[in-house]
Amino acid sequence: MRSPGIDLIRRMAGGDRDGFAAFYDAYASLAFGVLRRMLPPEEAAEALQDVFWELWRAAGDYDPSRGSPEAWVTVRARSRGIDRVRSVRRREEVFVVAESADDASVDPSFEDRDTVRGALASLPEPQREVLELAYWKGLTQSEIAARLGQPLGTVKTRMRLGMDKLRGLIGVSS
Amino acid sequence: MSAAHEPFAELAAGYALGALDPRDAAAFERHLAERCAECEESLRAYREALARVAADEREAPPPHVRAALLGRIAPAPPLRRSRPVRLVVAWAATAALAAGIAAVVTASAVGARYEARIAAIAREADALRAELAVQTRTVADLQRKVDEQDHALTMVRAESAEQARTLALLGDPATRVVTLAGAKPSPNAQGRMLWNPQAGGLFVAAALPPAPAGKIYELWAIAAGKPRAAGTFSVDPDGRGRVRVEPIAGVAAVDVFAVTLEPEPGGTSPTGEIYLASKEA
Repeated sequence: MRSPGIDLIRRMAGGDRDGFAAFYDAYASLAFGVLRRMLPPEEAAEALQDVFWELWRAAGDYDPSRGSPEAWVTVRARSRGIDRVRSVRRREEVFVVAESADDASVDPSFEDRDTVRGALASLPEPQREVLELAYWKGLTQSEIAARLGQPLGTVKTRMRLGMDKLRGLIGVSS
Repeated sequence: MSAAHEPFAELAAGYALGALDPRDAAAFERHLAERCAECEESLRAYREALARVAADEREAPPPHVRAALLGRIAPAPPLRRSRPVRLVVAWAATAALAAGIAAVVTASAVGARYEARIAAIAREADALRAELAVQTRTVADLQRKVDEQDHALTMVRAESAEQARTLALLGDPATRVVTLAGAKPSPNAQGRMLWNPQAGGLFVAAALPPAPAGKIYELWAIAAGKPRAAGTFSVDPDGRGRVRVEPIAGVAAVDVFAVTLEPEPGGTSPTGEIYLASKEA
């Protein structure tokens, strides 16, 4: 099934501002949901603006054979989210040595966002845990291994098993 | 699936999540650059799966983001990323020909290299922007701390100036000490007035009862039978209070100092009961 997003991206590539507005209206909540999982509200809104600005500028490079508009948007949103999460973490390591890591992880703005929904919820706990730390916290495999006290190899295996299962669950065939 | 490919099949999952450690990410990108169809396909499928997970999290963004974006793209047509690249390629080709250099590099290879560089520069710019946002916040935090310390310093300076004035007052031979005794409502209360007609004075009280709500103690300087308001003060739980008194214009000698309880914020002539009074000089 051809996504209506593809036509909108094509219009964006032609410099069509209304096409961009329609594209934004269709996909902003997708990108914002991802960013909100990773960042506090204000920062998520800033990142959202960066993401759509980039999408507008990169519309000419979009190739539908390489992924759906949903994936195009999600990849971009995750990448900007990860940049921000990681640079905040680096800064915190430098400046907030006195505070325990737990304090940082219980940011009140994340309180209502702990529910596990949809596809992730159906994964076995060890795989879900690894995927969530990567997806929402922007942790790398070795950071996840350190946090969970598990060998790196175990984390890599769980991540792959989880991703394969996810891919099967939601009917993305290859 | 070839044996050489197998380790990359595992890396693809982490790569799609953006969770590979830098060395693994670089290795996987080199592998992808060799156009491994299997990995490209896995990556595509994983990314679709992650987009579906994201779809479970949809959340309406604040309206100002849309307005800001549309405002930003209104004035000029977008800078197509591919267009400047083509210009660069054309320029590079022209330059190469003009210099008589054999065009051994194909335009598409040049294009790909510039694409990659531009993408890398864009990523760096984004990382820097994110870094800047964080630093801006850090600067704001530091500014707030500086402001707080500034405020504390101002308080300390004021206190120190006050003490300097008190010392100067004590050292001035024209300063005299007037004792005030407790009156009927507060027989145990005491007051001391350091009074200097030119410099003003400092009044301290002790053992006064707490002022009831809506009331405040007011000090009076009575000269030639006429009371002048000389300042108001409240007392701490031990009944202590203090007030700095400005010199009173046109009054050479004060006969009596007295304290009454007045409705807040104090008045220009006494209405309440006397709590402390000095003997007539």
